[in-house]
Amino acid sequence: MHNSSTNVLIQFDHFNFYYGKFLALKDINLSILQGVVTAFIGPSGCGKSTLLRAINRMYALYPGQRVEGGLRIGDENILAEDVDLSELRKRVGMIFQKPTPFPMSVYNNIAYGVRLHENLSRSAMDERVEWALRKAALWDEVKDKLNQEGMSLSGGQQQRLCIARGIAVHPEILLLDEPTSALDPISTMRIEELISELRGEFTIVIVTHNMQQAARVSDYTAYMYLGEVVEYNKTETIFYNPQKTETEDYVTGRFG
Amino acid sequence: MNMENAQTEHISKQFDVEMENIRSGVLTMGGLVERQLAGALHALGSEENIDLLTVVKAREKEINQMQVDIDHQCAQIIVRRQPAAIDLRTVLTISKVVSDLERIGDEAKKIARRAARLQGNDRLIKMQYFETIHAGELAQQALGRVLNAFARLDVNEAIAAYDSDEEIDIAFDVIMRQLIGFMMEDPRTISSGLDVLFVAKWIERIGDHAKNIAEAVVQIVMGKDVRHASLEEIKAELEQD
Amino acid sequence: MKYRKISWLLFKRQLLDWMSVILSLFAILFGLFWLFWILWTTLSLGISGLSLDLFTEMTPPPNSETGGLANAIMGSLMMVGLATLLGTPIGIFSGIYLAEFGRRNMLGEIVRFINDILLSAPSIIIGLFIYEIYVTRRGHFSGWAGVLALTLIVIPVVVRTTENMLRLVPTSLREAAYALGAPNWHMILNVSLRASFAGVITGVMLAVARISGETAPLLFTALSNQYWSLNLDEPLASLPVVIFKFAMSPFADWSRLAWAGVFLIVLTVLLLNILARLILQRKTS
Repeated sequence: MHNSSTNVLIQFDHFNFYYGKFLALKDINLSILQGVVTAFIGPSGCGKSTLLRAINRMYALYPGQRVEGGLRIGDENILAEDVDLSELRKRVGMIFQKPTPFPMSVYNNIAYGVRLHENLSRSAMDERVEWALRKAALWDEVKDKLNQEGMSLSGGQQQRLCIARGIAVHPEILLLDEPTSALDPISTMRIEELISELRGEFTIVIVTHNMQQAARVSDYTAYMYLGEVVEYNKTETIFYNPQKTETEDYVTGRFG
Repeated sequence: MNMENAQTEHISKQFDVEMENIRSGVLTMGGLVERQLAGALHALGSEENIDLLTVVKAREKEINQMQVDIDHQCAQIIVRRQPAAIDLRTVLTISKVVSDLERIGDEAKKIARRAARLQGNDRLIKMQYFETIHAGELAQQALGRVLNAFARLDVNEAIAAYDSDEEIDIAFDVIMRQLIGFMMEDPRTISSGLDVLFVAKWIERIGDHAKNIAEAVVQIVMGKDVRHASLEEIKAELEQD
Repeated sequence: MKYRKISWLLFKRQLLDWMSVILSLFAILFGLFWLFWILWTTLSLGISGLSLDLFTEMTPPPNSETGGLANAIMGSLMMVGLATLLGTPIGIFSGIYLAEFGRRNMLGEIVRFINDILLSAPSIIIGLFIYEIYVTRRGHFSGWAGVLALTLIVIPVVVRTTENMLRLVPTSLREAAYALGAPNWHMILNVSLRASFAGVITGVMLAVARISGETAPLLFTALSNQYWSLNLDEPLASLPVVIFKFAMSPFADWSRLAWAGVFLIVLTVLLLNILARLILQRKTS
């Protein structure tokens, strides 16, 4: 059901994460495969979002948050001092819990990120915007509203706009931080459908509170608890025949 | 590792209640099927004429209704609770378990009918199909074992039921040869000999259904699909754990 | 019996309810009464002084038939305009610093504290300050001194509103921009500031409204000038100061002009407030 590619793209190696003095992630060793959808699940505060936000070094915005150990994307050690964060974040897109359209038109929302990294002609930019909106399954709904404010779209459309904005810069990896927790069920289904369509082309890592969502969209699932990866396995194994009792307790709703 | 788990509680008490209802439903249904089989075997072995058929038919209806009810409850749990892991395996395999139980009930009913026909017939003396009755007892034992295994989610008990099935299969071969012998010796026994042969075949099938239930128990507990896998493999697996 | 008791309780509650409604209405009416009285006086006395001469003629000597406020209007426009032009960028950039960089560091705290003091400082102190450091050194009153004093009033208002408005921009929006690889300055200018644009502009307008009525700081700095002048290095007339001078005089025509000036200022402030509200509404809806 998932890509035959088994190349490891993201590699955590004895990875620790600190909020100040608090050790939030303990000795994480995790290999995330290229072109598949990987889900992080676990109870609140287990560190799944923290782990996700390490991949594009979002934590670097906040003094007091620091990491130890290794984190590689492909061959590159992205924890190195001299890593160009702008370049890293071009490779690693991120979509947040609440839709975050910028205070500008639909068109410029998409073009914003592209302009940061590339110098495109007007027509090339038009093409890129259309391409991204089509990929995000939003084009048909907004092709006549490109000059409207991004905020004027519905919640679900805003979130797809954010996904379009994320993929417009041609990243390799997409990080989704609870992308549907603020959306209604229909919008949620659209986003999930979109994730399935983007699988393969992008390496997708999704954090979700919704176990069924992880079961529906992901190929691999990591169950996390108290800052550790308890079990990392194929999604069908995690939800049908988990190998650890802790995982079983969590996915069956005996604990959480 | 999972054995204790099926007994520990969900956050949702209602979920616990629903799962427990299903599990106890299966055991109740299993009890009915056991009595059905016991009745049929009793009729087969008894000297005097006993009229079982009304009781057997009534029980058959009850068994069929239970299968429908339990299937419905399983569907309800899937719809409402989206069960995962051991709960999912339990709900999925229970559908198969109740269908196996229902089939065993069917076979038992057919045996009871044939037994009624055989009672008026003395072409074959009881001693001559003594083996068949023995096989029936083996099947009864196997059924009891798998139901115990299911109740306690006990893989070792399930494996033991596996062993009984092999014995039943061997017994069936022996019975067939014996009956062929009888029928060749005395062609007047052919009609009742075929009756007994059918009974033996049904008993052998009951053994197969019991084996299916044993596999279901292994599936629930270990999450391994052991259908068509050899006993040795499963045993090796158990040793490892 | 029981029913009676309950109805008595109910009656008491209703009475209390009525009384509090009446009391609050009375409080509102009390406030509005004075407000409307002020507006009415301004309007009735000011409108009679309105004429085209107001905008073309200079401030007259006492008891002359003609005369207007042209020099004062021009002086006010120049000083308020320049002070806004100077104070806005300084205020906005300081506000950006406080909101984006100085949230928790020492410098941020100090700047915020001082800004708050400046915000609540009586404007006369600011006038005296400029008088001390600029006017006495230059040896004469000047428009520039007025501009400086007004700028000092604009800055804290703009700093405060800019910081508050930027802080309202959700963290997730900032992170979303960073997540695309936007550098800091790019995110602030194109996302944060843009998202809070309406609020920041409102802050500027409120600052303009405030300084267009300030008298005290101009008395010590720009003083006044009864002739037409565009030279900021000379004393410069302004509406509030002219009003201050004319209103206290015994001459009827001066007092008439003073009221006309008051009317102009009130009108401007009112229009600016309405404009600020419209901008804010359009952006948020």
